[in-house]
Amino acid sequence: MTMYKYDAIDQTLVNERVSQFRDQVARRLDGTLPEEEFRPLRLQNGLYHQRHAYMLRVAIPYGLLSSDQLRTLAKIATQYDRGYGHFTTRQNIQYNWVELEQTPDILADLAKVQMHAIQTSGNCIRNITSDAFAGVAGDEYVDPRPVCELLRQWSTLHPEFAHLPRKFKFAINGAKEDRTVLLCHDVGIELKKSPQGELVADIYAGGGMGRTPILGQLIKQALPWQLLPSYLTALLRVYNRFGRRDNLYKARIKILVKALGPEEFARQVEGEWAYIAKGDDNFTQAEWDRVAKHFTKPAYKNLSAISDEALNTQFASELDTNERIAFARWLERNVRAHQVPGYASVILSLKPHGTAAPGDATTEQMNAIADLADQYSFGELRVTHEQNLVLADVEQSELLNLWRAAKKQNLVIPNIGLLTDLIACPGGDFCSLANAKSLPIAKAIQERFDDLDYLYDLGNISLNISGCINSCGHHHVGNIGVLGVDKDGEEWYQITLGGDQGFNAAIGKVIGPSFYADEIPDVITNIINTYVAQRNADESFVEAYRRLGVTPFKEAAYLNAKKKSKTESASSEGAAS
Amino acid sequence: MSQANPHLIASHKDILHFPKDGTPSLAPNDWQTWSGDRDEGGLPDLEHGAHKVLVPFSWWIKHHKEQDILTRAKNGQIGVWFAADDDILKHSDLIEEDKALWPIVAAHFPLFRDGRSFSTAALLRDRFAWDKEIRAIGDVLIDQLLQGARVGFDSFELRHDQNLDVALKQFDLYTVTTQNSWRGKRSLLKASSH
Repeated sequence: MTMYKYDAIDQTLVNERVSQFRDQVARRLDGTLPEEEFRPLRLQNGLYHQRHAYMLRVAIPYGLLSSDQLRTLAKIATQYDRGYGHFTTRQNIQYNWVELEQTPDILADLAKVQMHAIQTSGNCIRNITSDAFAGVAGDEYVDPRPVCELLRQWSTLHPEFAHLPRKFKFAINGAKEDRTVLLCHDVGIELKKSPQGELVADIYAGGGMGRTPILGQLIKQALPWQLLPSYLTALLRVYNRFGRRDNLYKARIKILVKALGPEEFARQVEGEWAYIAKGDDNFTQAEWDRVAKHFTKPAYKNLSAISDEALNTQFASELDTNERIAFARWLERNVRAHQVPGYASVILSLKPHGTAAPGDATTEQMNAIADLADQYSFGELRVTHEQNLVLADVEQSELLNLWRAAKKQNLVIPNIGLLTDLIACPGGDFCSLANAKSLPIAKAIQERFDDLDYLYDLGNISLNISGCINSCGHHHVGNIGVLGVDKDGEEWYQITLGGDQGFNAAIGKVIGPSFYADEIPDVITNIINTYVAQRNADESFVEAYRRLGVTPFKEAAYLNAKKKSKTESASSEGAAS
Repeated sequence: MSQANPHLIASHKDILHFPKDGTPSLAPNDWQTWSGDRDEGGLPDLEHGAHKVLVPFSWWIKHHKEQDILTRAKNGQIGVWFAADDDILKHSDLIEEDKALWPIVAAHFPLFRDGRSFSTAALLRDRFAWDKEIRAIGDVLIDQLLQGARVGFDSFELRHDQNLDVALKQFDLYTVTTQNSWRGKRSLLKASSH
């Protein structure tokens, strides 16, 4: 396996964190710690109080998971929850039905497999996310994992930044394509090699979604990796001191960067950094070596690359006609190029059509996936931003065997990147922040677009659903975004179009007044029909949208809209209540 | 007793001291923290017979040149406390000039989950090389102690309802750290320097 393994320091720290939390829970239960004061403490350990029960969010740092860790996650789902877990857009897993009294035991079980829930919520530096294809992607400049791990450790229980004005999210990328939604993070760290071959970072700050979606701005170029701790300390110190604390919705760093302007913000960070840039906060080569030695290449065999065409031909005799089509599509949609000849990365789709919530996996599936990882991919897995799982290092010649095995668990639907590979937050079915449900909308859309031939013809389209303006479903960057809003106690849905992630990241535009839940499948159908009717050859949905503008899509969306008596402003609602 | 006086910032009677390289202990509070209200020019008589007072830094800025204030300061009877929104870097010249007069400074938490004073303490230690006492005052709760102790605080005026026995036990919860702090380098650097 090529994953970071805890040493005595890391293990001691998570064990001591469990003891600390056990004591905090005990004080909550005996009444000496009131809920109002326990709340930020439990949030900093990933524990939310939801609509029906407590929800525990467990970190999967930068998306890397071993098969044994996944088995523990599966066991927790059975022992303490209702037999499933929900993988999130930020490389966490959530359990929706845990008991407060049991959370210290869950954390102790996690600690045994080098996992934790530290800083998965709260106004602190959150779980650091990265490219799910780190270390294997064909378009990678720099393997981001050592920097991810160094910064995970640096940010863990950082005392000065334990009570920031608001949550603070890092994403780290090292590839040509951005698979991390880098520009929608409080800090985005873009790793590259300098002309001299040194590892350096470009720093973007002030991105975020939520009520005021803003893309991050470049504030620092070519920062040597060793200096990340001092530079980030300076950046966070400026934010901690001057970020707004008077209004929850204006407290993210994006508001500070916008108010000051990126140049002035960068100047203040530089001013602070000048005093600490040379200090011993910075990383040493020995620290790099300690971490980087774990991210070596696994024991790849010396193989030759096989083209998709050759694979299809090679396996044709073992497949019947229907299987041949299904396998070929799976190869095209769910299998990705690898750095090493003869290997591929496989995305296991957690997006069955309407039969489970996006990103959900049952105990049985998790155990089966852990076995697949052991058998086909060096015992390792990754979690993607799109809430799917990846087997990163599969021999191409084993793809058919893997496909057959994964099919038994309903994990091979060839819809990666297609309309039904949608992102959705748990929404109003679980979350007490939500204004509206997300999961029934996701299910209705998946059921409406259940024809794989048609989906395949539509090509790449991202559809993201958030149950409220907190934007956990990342609707702002979906080509099609669906946002749940509350009007006079009723659930309505606002549509945005033209959002995108990656280096072409764009925030979608609201098309107009919102819709009833039961209108959404028709609205999406009308929007899609407009695309099909007006697209040029090989033009993706978002490319067509950019060329045509919003008008034809908007007209189509409101074609059958119900007459509404209420006057409304489509852009001003959200989680303010 | 101190809760009763509206001109003082309410707190426990005992102060939790945790000196750098020392062990945590309790001691009676001999500093009163004046909230800054009832400002009639001079220092108000807050508690009969108690002479040592922490004044708001904003008040110090206005009054530090007055002879009677200076006299009391030179007798070691005045320290200042920084509000969470005091920009101490903006006043760095004044702090550098006057810091020798103060036996102690404090930083205030208006609400336990307002972390600005963590940065204030860190800056006082790093930038101003302040090596005397920094006291945490205001909404100081048990579960802030560890963080406070690491950023630079070495005494804590806990909120009056906090259990001091539980508070005293906080400081040995962790035997390792993964970033430097005022109290010491991260465990990894410590281990390699032996």
